[in-house]
Amino acid sequence: MPMFGFGPSDYSAIALSVKVAVTATLLSLPFAFAVAYLMTFQRFRGKIVLDGIVNLPLTLPPVVVGYLLLLLLGRNGWIGRTILQPLGIEIIFTWKAAVIATAVVGFPLMVRSIRIGMETIDRGLIQASRTLGAGRLDTVTTVILPLSLRGIVAGSVLMFARGLGEFGATIIVAGNIPGVTQTIPLAIYEYASSPRGDIMAMALCGVSIAISVIVLVFHEWIGRRMDRVG
Amino acid sequence: MKLRMDIQKRFGVFHLNADFKIEGDRIGIFGPSGSGKSTLMGILAGLHCPDEGVIEINGETIFDSRRGINIAVPFRRIGMVFQRPHLFPHLTVKRNLLYGYRRCPAENRRITVESLISALEIGHLLDRGVANLSGGERQRVAIGRAVLSNPRILVMDEPLTGLDDNLKFQIIPYLKNACETSGIPYLFISHSQVETRIMTDRVLTLEEGRVTGQMSGEELARSRMKDHIAGYINLLKLRRVRDSHGMAVYHWGDRELFLSSADDHPEAIFELSSAEIILCKQRPESISARNILRCRVADVFETGRRLGVELAFGKERLIAEIVRQAAEDLDIRKGKKIYAVIKASAFRKLR
Amino acid sequence: MLKKSFAREKTFANKDPLIRYITILLSHGTGPFCRNSWAAEHINQVSPMKAISRASLFLFITLLSAVPARAADINLSIAASLKVVVTELSNDFASMKPSVSFRRNIGGSGALAKQIENGAPCDVLFSANQEWADYLIDKKLGDTGAATAFAFNELVFVGRPGLKAASLEDVAGLKKIAIGSPKIVPAGEYALEAFKKANLDRKLKDKLVMANDVWNCLMYAERGEVDGAFVYRTDAAIMGKNVNILFVVPQTLYKRITYIMALTKTGAAKKEASAFYTFMQSARAKKVLLKYGFAVK
Repeated sequence: MPMFGFGPSDYSAIALSVKVAVTATLLSLPFAFAVAYLMTFQRFRGKIVLDGIVNLPLTLPPVVVGYLLLLLLGRNGWIGRTILQPLGIEIIFTWKAAVIATAVVGFPLMVRSIRIGMETIDRGLIQASRTLGAGRLDTVTTVILPLSLRGIVAGSVLMFARGLGEFGATIIVAGNIPGVTQTIPLAIYEYASSPRGDIMAMALCGVSIAISVIVLVFHEWIGRRMDRVG
Repeated sequence: MKLRMDIQKRFGVFHLNADFKIEGDRIGIFGPSGSGKSTLMGILAGLHCPDEGVIEINGETIFDSRRGINIAVPFRRIGMVFQRPHLFPHLTVKRNLLYGYRRCPAENRRITVESLISALEIGHLLDRGVANLSGGERQRVAIGRAVLSNPRILVMDEPLTGLDDNLKFQIIPYLKNACETSGIPYLFISHSQVETRIMTDRVLTLEEGRVTGQMSGEELARSRMKDHIAGYINLLKLRRVRDSHGMAVYHWGDRELFLSSADDHPEAIFELSSAEIILCKQRPESISARNILRCRVADVFETGRRLGVELAFGKERLIAEIVRQAAEDLDIRKGKKIYAVIKASAFRKLR
Repeated sequence: MLKKSFAREKTFANKDPLIRYITILLSHGTGPFCRNSWAAEHINQVSPMKAISRASLFLFITLLSAVPARAADINLSIAASLKVVVTELSNDFASMKPSVSFRRNIGGSGALAKQIENGAPCDVLFSANQEWADYLIDKKLGDTGAATAFAFNELVFVGRPGLKAASLEDVAGLKKIAIGSPKIVPAGEYALEAFKKANLDRKLKDKLVMANDVWNCLMYAERGEVDGAFVYRTDAAIMGKNVNILFVVPQTLYKRITYIMALTKTGAAKKEASAFYTFMQSARAKKVLLKYGFAVK
């Protein structure tokens, strides 16, 4: 891949994109796992409501998701006003906002993948582990978690890929600040909006694709390793 | 072990209503498919919750809907061997076996891992994954895993049902071995009389969700005689001595039996249906059957439209069945000396 | 009077500005906003068979419902900040000449130019800066003879009513400022130019928040996420009660914001399009432009 004329802001866009996507993925994992567990193994009223809420980001245009996050986390937002401001925590217009936007938008994808993995787990295994003396948490960590690994990896890859391409929500809630919150898609959009920026836009597209391919190959490799051990 | 259950549970149309007290270390739960046996045991283990009722083990209450007592599954320490082995696919055989063992506090561990592994003959499988084990091997590992968790009772839910005949009766000695080695009382669920008779001392019978009786394995077999074409299945433990004219000769008690199908093992259990035993007042001559044994009538009992005759051969016993008219003709009474005729091909090996 | 043009938005005049922006977003879908949903399309994973049959069905319906273009259809590509005024003027024109109907395409000047370059039908382009109009002429799509600067705008700084900021120096002392992302939004480019000329660009660099467009700038200012924003005077007219124009950026600091109206080659060939082009420079049109806060020649 010829690196024609990537400037410092381009490199920082690439590094930032990867950083945001990875952080968002890692941050979402425990929550997505918990939600997937609840949806698969627990029966409770309002399950459908939870499902609807979790899937909301899928149905809304990302820009609207961005606005809603702004509503929540901005200076006059619910959380902003009550928690963030008093603690002096700034989220809007920082890379943290990009992480949150990416995490929210990708969350339903991750939950979905993990659920699919969990649903294939034989319930008899869970019963067996309980009768062998394992409490709930024990069963989750020693039986359910290892057996959901494929779904977890698949969900992470999906979230990461989605995160690399996240634009709509990010630009609202993190702004487009070169070096601080300008991720690859934002940089591409900027280049594409300039009369002679097409080449640079394509180059950055290429980088994005390359990263995705690497991640996909990695996913395949992990999948094969897990099959061998099992 | 003393078990008391008095529970009710409704699933749609099905109503499980069990009220019983039973004592012993080798207890059977017998009933046809769909009678609620698995559900009952699931309730005992805590996997299902009854609508109301009481469960007591050795005097300790583990469930009481009125007092709000419901001990959680991991704390009931009731080991279960399910119909399908449910081995953890992501763990090796060794890890599977030790899963429950690790979760049992050291002071409660009464079984040594090595002795159980050798009793079940699974030592050579320890480092393998569970995916490529044969059906029999899987069940043995499942049994080992359940026993190693040191439960206070072991519940085995039709553990032999999924296996074919050969395998079934191969596993039975392992099962008995494992339980004797560990000294853990067990509940053995089955819809097979033969299995129940071999594995248990006292049997609880269940039908359509209700407990219909408590009896010994023998009594169960006899009471079910009339329902079976094969009647009562006699089980004979035979020891092979020699061959003769194409047949195998076995020792049984103080007698010798000629069998047409031999077994490679020196000792084996054989089945003999009560319907295959012919009774003769005198010793028959020029008859094709190779086994003609003198015996004494120990007991005569009714079973449906036929009669069951308990025959004594020294210390051994067999049960034959004949029609009422034949009994009258031959004047079959307690104490009478008589001849039993059995074809060499009538014996079926179990193991 | 200004409110009349926002007939569609009238019902939302009293509501939270955020909700207004969301509604505008969803109902108008300007160029940049359209692009924002590209990511949403990534998620649609359909099996190939389904995708093909869906696409064919869609195509079929589109072809069936495609209305053959009448000679009196005029295609307009309009920069976002000109949307309202050009819409009103084209409606005026259409009421005078009933045989004429307009198809209006709203977007960022750059997006519009690219669309035209790639074959989007356009008779008259309304661009918010010279560069994009020149771009089209370079590509031989514009009629060199028919491009004119027909309106001008001013850069203003808006913020909360009580805020003490009367000049660029004051602004340099604030915490966060929003401008349109310079490479995407012309208003932002002008603002940056002004900062450079006033030698405040270095001081302001870390305080800048680059928004997707001027609507976002206003929204950030209204919600208090930033202390203030640099927008066009004409955009400021849309504001709610929360922000005021605090000062006008001195014209000496930046090149005059010039709106170019250009006839494309196809437009020059259409009689009605040329007529509209002339109409837009008439006294009547100028009155409307002034009403909205634009300056005219």
